[in-house]
Amino acid sequence: MQPVVEVENVTKRYGPTVALNDVSLHINSGELFALLGPNGAGKTTLVHILCTIHAPDKGTAKVAGIDVVRHPRQARSRIGVVFQDPSLDDRLTVYENLDFHGRIYGVPRAVREERIAEMLALVGLEEVRDRLVRTLSTGMKRRLEIARALVHQPKMLFLDEPTVGLDAQTRHKIWEYIRTLQQRHQLTVLVTTHYIEEVEQCDRVCIIDHGQVLALDTPAALKARYGQERLRVRFKDAGDAAAAAAQYAARVLRHAGDEVDLASEGEAFVEAFLSAHGTRIRALSVESVSLESVFLSLTGREIRDEAAGPRDQLRAFGRRGGEHTA
Amino acid sequence: MSVLAGIHAIWLRELKRSLRDRGQFIGGVSRPILWVLIMGIGLNPYFRGEVYGEVRYVVPFTFIQFIFPAVIALNMLYTAVQSAVSVIWDREFGFLREILVSPLDRWAVLLGKVLGGATVAIMHGLLVVLLAPIADVPLTPVRLLKGLGLMFVLAFGLTSLGMIIANRMRTFEGFGVFANAVILPLYFTSSSIFPLDPSLTRAQMVVIFPEWLVTVVRLNPLTYAVDALRGVFINFHQFPWVTDLTVLFGLSLGCFLIALWDFRRV
Repeated sequence: MQPVVEVENVTKRYGPTVALNDVSLHINSGELFALLGPNGAGKTTLVHILCTIHAPDKGTAKVAGIDVVRHPRQARSRIGVVFQDPSLDDRLTVYENLDFHGRIYGVPRAVREERIAEMLALVGLEEVRDRLVRTLSTGMKRRLEIARALVHQPKMLFLDEPTVGLDAQTRHKIWEYIRTLQQRHQLTVLVTTHYIEEVEQCDRVCIIDHGQVLALDTPAALKARYGQERLRVRFKDAGDAAAAAAQYAARVLRHAGDEVDLASEGEAFVEAFLSAHGTRIRALSVESVSLESVFLSLTGREIRDEAAGPRDQLRAFGRRGGEHTA
Repeated sequence: MSVLAGIHAIWLRELKRSLRDRGQFIGGVSRPILWVLIMGIGLNPYFRGEVYGEVRYVVPFTFIQFIFPAVIALNMLYTAVQSAVSVIWDREFGFLREILVSPLDRWAVLLGKVLGGATVAIMHGLLVVLLAPIADVPLTPVRLLKGLGLMFVLAFGLTSLGMIIANRMRTFEGFGVFANAVILPLYFTSSSIFPLDPSLTRAQMVVIFPEWLVTVVRLNPLTYAVDALRGVFINFHQFPWVTDLTVLFGLSLGCFLIALWDFRRV
């Protein structure tokens, strides 16, 4: 079967910054595919290229077999997008936003009505159908955006950081919807995120940093290959720490002052370690294999978060009634 | 067919947004009242000269009749700026992306927006027309139809101008000042509140304008739009019809094409 998304050797620069460096990947039909990376890794750039907002400097990208550079309009009618920043009209009602979307995608009225009703039911927004979007909560707006992206029955759904800025419970809910959609409608979904715990449930994960693909596989395979169980030990004094570090030289992942991190495998190793050093340690914890550790071993750092940018400040200005300055 | 549906959707959205914006409506109602009722009635007695003890109007109309067509243009000018704000709003708050990733062509998106803005502008122009009886401007169906036609062309041009401005604005800060810096000079130098060339009137000896002002007024495209509206509503104009209509249509088409050029690069 032909992949739904084919990205071949895509490079994109913004001035001197290389946003994407020779990226190639395929997404199969019906797959829930995650693009994981810190902010600024190039995830959004890749999504924007696939949505025809930006053109790549080099390489080709196809969605549903259509070249997004050569035939952007045909490609657009086959994709649904939920952008990182909200893109709803908050002066229109929930229904009007969906109806507008259906109209500009050329969905005939009868089909439109049916799809809108179906999508509202799916994301549980039937009761707020006629409310102005500005009165909805952030989580509801996100759900509405997901529903909207599906009104024209796309083959491929792009979700750029769909859960950023949401509380844990709402995030969980959003993921439930995403999985339901993917399974029930055989939809192909690409999700970008920098929340590692969210990608565990995806079919395949692509780890990206500094515009390059570092790894691409199922979460289980990634863990098996790059994951590392880690024993974090804090000794009572730095001398003991140094001694232990010398003893397990091949296993030391980190050694700073009285703290030593060791590569561990299974309980046997932990017990052996404890019987040898148990009396000299202040604290000990075992970190099991997680995608977090996969990410750490691939990039050498933990995933980072970011402060509010100028766009958020402008949005705050808008909320205060900025439009009525004229 | 689906292009038409798309243009219609965008037009409808602009309309809904504007009609739900109470501030815009209040402005649209208060301006005509201010200009026609207060300015117009207040200055009415001074719009005439006295020659050998005989009272004569500078132009053969009362002041309120004279400014009435200009206030129509003024009200439409403000609405056009409001549609520029709507473009900035869309861009900064992400809704533009929703439109840009749709399969709709760029020209169709712009046309929908301009038609939507123009429709709202015409509505605001009609708010002024409602005051015609008070301004002592007799309305006939033919006049109204001709007036509507001119208003449409003007509204289309002004809304396109709003789009051009919006494309060059990055933020809302200072937009109010900027808008007023464009609207009021355009309005005041469009021969709206005083006739341009006294030599055309019977009272040419009474008022003499400095040359620079005459030049500015002649260069202002809005002058010709106001002149055309005046021609329709009170049957008085200072320029030939051909000049008025050429400038008006030229302005509309030109602004739309520039706006389109800008919009394709977004």
